[in-house]
Amino acid sequence: MSLFDARFYDFNVHLVPDSQDSLAMFASEAKKYGYSGIAILNSKTGNPGNIPENFSVHSAVEVSCKPSKIRDEIKRYRGSAEILVARGGDEEFNRAAVETAGLDILLQPAKFNHVLAKAAYDNSIAIGFNLGSLIRLRGEARIRELRTMRANLKYARKYGLAMLLTGAPSSRYDIRSPREMAALASLFGMTGEEAVGAMSAAPLDILRRKSPDYIQEGIEII
Amino acid sequence: MSSLPTLRDKKRYIAFELTSEQTITRQEMGEETMNSICSLFGDTGASEINFGLMSYDGRYGIIRCARDSTTETRAALACINKIRGSRVSILVLGISGTIKGAMEKFIQQPLNKEP
Repeated sequence: MSLFDARFYDFNVHLVPDSQDSLAMFASEAKKYGYSGIAILNSKTGNPGNIPENFSVHSAVEVSCKPSKIRDEIKRYRGSAEILVARGGDEEFNRAAVETAGLDILLQPAKFNHVLAKAAYDNSIAIGFNLGSLIRLRGEARIRELRTMRANLKYARKYGLAMLLTGAPSSRYDIRSPREMAALASLFGMTGEEAVGAMSAAPLDILRRKSPDYIQEGIEII
Repeated sequence: MSSLPTLRDKKRYIAFELTSEQTITRQEMGEETMNSICSLFGDTGASEINFGLMSYDGRYGIIRCARDSTTETRAALACINKIRGSRVSILVLGISGTIKGAMEKFIQQPLNKEP
């Protein structure tokens, strides 16, 4: 059995509302590339339309506000079934984000350190790697992104944080297949096993925690 | 140029499918891939990869690379997002040890038209 016989998810899809790519078309394209599900960020589409079989579409909310308000913002969405994503910003924002239980993913924090990593582990927040920036940027900007990812990988390994890979696609031309994502992740030192876990096990774990049956870690109704 | 079998370069052939807004010619495809490899791995890295565009018909194609650097080539292919202003996406269909194998296993149709 190959390493890549798993269910893969991309949790950071931004669909432009007025683009030609409808959700159904994007979903069928993502299925062709080998994904089993996506999470659409900040979507207001109530009815997703005809989605291919064995493919799941989830909704996610991006939390973006002042560091002082982020706790209230996260608490507002905590009980809902939506996946909470925060885009990493300056240190103050990152700190406020990782110290609030309920957040699911902190995406590409540029200023990360061991204190934040410990807090993220305590609140079981996954750290996201945005491979879309590697695809779209060139030269110095890409070097900076690679350095950030290398540093974040170091903290994630040291403190056992869950890792999440995303391509941040906004159209069907931005999707890359899981094997390509693993190859891109190997550019900053991630192993194949880690990459597969970051696209398959980590998203499934977040979905498990978001399911209605889930109460708390270690508690279940028999 | 023939060389001893043991001294031959070990190669792999990557079959791919290109999705693009406009038709991309063979020359543009080759140049853009080489550009992507060079910007990602530098000149020394590119020389180790031993890249070559073997065949291409506007949609399907086959790329040659060194046996030990298939991951690097995949990463370079994934980094291509725009060719001559039109957005593109490359899906790797599979990797084989021979051109014939890549054609029969992954493309399954003759590539004749050269754009």
